[in-house]
Amino acid sequence: MKFKKFMRTYRPFTRAGMLESVAYRANFICFLLGEIMSCFIMFFVWKAVFNSTTSPDFMGFTMSDMVVYLFITFLTGYLTYSDGTYAIATEIRDGSIAMRMIKPCSFDMCFLFQELGNKIFNVLVIFVPIVLGVEIYRWAITGVCQFDIVHFLLYIISLVLAYLISFYFNVSYGFMAFYLKNLWGADILKECIVNFLSGATIPLAFMPTVLADILNFLPFSSLSYTPVMIYMGMYSLDEIALRMLLQVFWLVTMILISKAVWNHAVKRLCSQGG
Amino acid sequence: MIYVNDLKKEFKKAIKEPGLKGSIKALFKPNNEIIKAVDGITFHVPKGEILGFIGPNGAGKSTVIKMLTGILTPTSGTCTINGYVPQKDRQKYVKEIGVVFGQRTQLWWDLALRETYSVLKEIYDVPDKEFKQRMAFLNEVLELDSFITSPVRTLSLGQRMRADIAASLLHNPKVLFLDEPTIGLDVVVKDNIRNAIQKINAEEGTTVILTTHDLSDIELLCNRIVMIDKGKKVFDGQINELKHEFGQMRDLQFELVDINNVAKLDYCEHFNATADDLQLSNEGVMVSVRFNSDVVSVEDMLSYTLSKVHVKDINLKDADIEEIIRRMYRQEVSIDEV
Amino acid sequence: MRRMLRLHRIFVAQYMKNLMEYKVDFLTGAISFLIGQVVQIAFLGIIFSQIPNLVGWEFNEILFIYGFSLLPKGLDHLLFDNLWSVGYFIVRKGDFDKYLTRPINSLFYVICEKFCVDAFGELFIGLVLIVYSVIALKLTITWYMIPLFIIAVVFATLIYTSIKIATSAISFWTKASGHITHMFYMTNDFSKYPTTIYNKFVRTFITYVVPFAFTAFYPASFFLTGENPLFCIGGTVLASVVLFVISVCIWNRGIKAYESAGS
Repeated sequence: MKFKKFMRTYRPFTRAGMLESVAYRANFICFLLGEIMSCFIMFFVWKAVFNSTTSPDFMGFTMSDMVVYLFITFLTGYLTYSDGTYAIATEIRDGSIAMRMIKPCSFDMCFLFQELGNKIFNVLVIFVPIVLGVEIYRWAITGVCQFDIVHFLLYIISLVLAYLISFYFNVSYGFMAFYLKNLWGADILKECIVNFLSGATIPLAFMPTVLADILNFLPFSSLSYTPVMIYMGMYSLDEIALRMLLQVFWLVTMILISKAVWNHAVKRLCSQGG
Repeated sequence: MIYVNDLKKEFKKAIKEPGLKGSIKALFKPNNEIIKAVDGITFHVPKGEILGFIGPNGAGKSTVIKMLTGILTPTSGTCTINGYVPQKDRQKYVKEIGVVFGQRTQLWWDLALRETYSVLKEIYDVPDKEFKQRMAFLNEVLELDSFITSPVRTLSLGQRMRADIAASLLHNPKVLFLDEPTIGLDVVVKDNIRNAIQKINAEEGTTVILTTHDLSDIELLCNRIVMIDKGKKVFDGQINELKHEFGQMRDLQFELVDINNVAKLDYCEHFNATADDLQLSNEGVMVSVRFNSDVVSVEDMLSYTLSKVHVKDINLKDADIEEIIRRMYRQEVSIDEV
Repeated sequence: MRRMLRLHRIFVAQYMKNLMEYKVDFLTGAISFLIGQVVQIAFLGIIFSQIPNLVGWEFNEILFIYGFSLLPKGLDHLLFDNLWSVGYFIVRKGDFDKYLTRPINSLFYVICEKFCVDAFGELFIGLVLIVYSVIALKLTITWYMIPLFIIAVVFATLIYTSIKIATSAISFWTKASGHITHMFYMTNDFSKYPTTIYNKFVRTFITYVVPFAFTAFYPASFFLTGENPLFCIGGTVLASVVLFVISVCIWNRGIKAYESAGS
């Protein structure tokens, strides 16, 4: 019963998000083509790298591993991307965040469900072709179908966790707009640091062991590296359990942080009078 | 000065059904419709005139103004202003016009107002000496002094509008286009701006074309109005012509000696007139009768009234332009193609 | 031309005043770009720690090409960034009206209204990489290299700008085209690596269709090897001039189709 009411409250947000994404579908597809270009560039770079060495693997990654890594990282990065920072910063700047306090629904859920709606269409467009493409490539290269349903399902779970961590992290970050006049620079800075720390630009396995160990523990590896490694079958089941536990830990932490920041913001809004 | 001949502008508009279903349908089968925003408009404006350009929302006023200022290219038809075709000689042409769009500013948002003027001076190539004179003149007319050093984003709407008008006049244009210059302003600021427009028109002979929804702008400023509706011209002429043609409505107002006498007045039955042509209303002893002087003559009206009741004070008024136009918008007045 | 330069200077000066209001923002923007590039270069370093060369090019040569690619990109970013706004919102919101009611060329006006200082991050890294790699490779610099280098950078910048002009002009018909600009613009990353690593399709595409290869690899390879000056430098000039003429034509036709917005 409670669940039904919950869905009734937030379904309109999902719907609005979906309509929005369908309306901007052409923009989305062009944007996607532009972004995925970098995967193809790296694909050719890696092909050249493997042509230049005699060994069949590069620091433990074969060519087909590398391709899976490139495209699945792109996919994961895209699916876990959250616009929370921008959305919150905009609302803070134009003052409409105050309206959130008089609405009978929780602020983070509104954002979350709108964003989910926005993603449904995009997921359909991007998910199937990339996974299919990667699997066909792997199959063509090695001659065996390497698709593993268990790892795939675990990947999906890990992906959802990663998205939620990313969402709450971005929401918390967006509240910085209270202190900065403009969040544009800080947002780019965040993007670029997260890309590095999460292993999206350089696989953590290529980094010096000490650095890799630290980064593996930090919340950022939960955003991209963990699900990708699960997909690739690089982790044993024990390791997967451990990594997912860590993801849950960071998710809870991020939710608590975002609640704390929100409460702080409410106080601030009240004392400022809007 | 300004010649507009059979000007037309068509837009293509995608039709989308509402809801998610509609969006998906539009994804596969986009549906286009051609909208005639301006459908064959012809008029001529002599130098030094203030022309009021009016019409209901979506009538095509802004589209015409945008074609006259060279922003939009007409689908067909021609306009020549000062011998220029706006779209053809755009860069030369715009040096001779000033444009103000009431709903969007052309000032540099984050800069002090003065900086905007010094940039515009360069853009329009205004010599130093002339620039100083112009600024002094505009300062006097529009009273910019008190806020010329503030950043534009901190200006009030009224200040911003004055600043925008000054910006459009910096290069001494021969024609000034004002698209809703008094929108959202309070009465005092409106007055201020109207005076400024009048003064500029009188002192420099600037031709002014003005669109507005505020009919007192028109009554106070314009020598002539062109009214359009659904992309077509429906009236072109002097204001008193409009009054003469459509405005046979008069207001008779008087104060009764005895309030109970109201019941004695039964105009409709006496003159056998419909509610459209005759309306009676009263507030205590103050009575007001609005009537069509074509149906009931002023003389009959007065003699009937005075024969029925005793009055303390009596007053007969022309209907104002606002009333006429309101009726025209509602299409109560039948309009023949002009 | 003199008037244009004078106007440009005035716009830049005004813009700088504007910028002071948001200086923290632009500083963080430039710094994050710097960090991003350092990470990328570190990645290249990791790759080269395992292989002797990449299709015949050694690490320092790759750094030179990479650094060279940042110069035209950075210059275009510095001077002509406002074109992005045309495709993303200026046309859609009808704000392009303003540019059409001014007695200067609309393209020139819109281009030089903004001046993007965070591009100094790109230019800085680009120059550092070029200087470092020239020293590390012990390249001999002959006198005619310098004017050729400047020519190559200037015309390579024009390739970037022309592609942005042409794609943002599409918004005159479609209201918004920022995403199309984005799509084409992103192909520029292909130019950071030797074209020989790509397959034939990609190579043809970035040489003859969207000639980004001329913004970095071709001219840079001439400065590294001294071979093929006609194709490498002449091709850059030719490609950029042709592209520029085409894009200005598209722009001018687009203005006629411009529909403004609302009333």
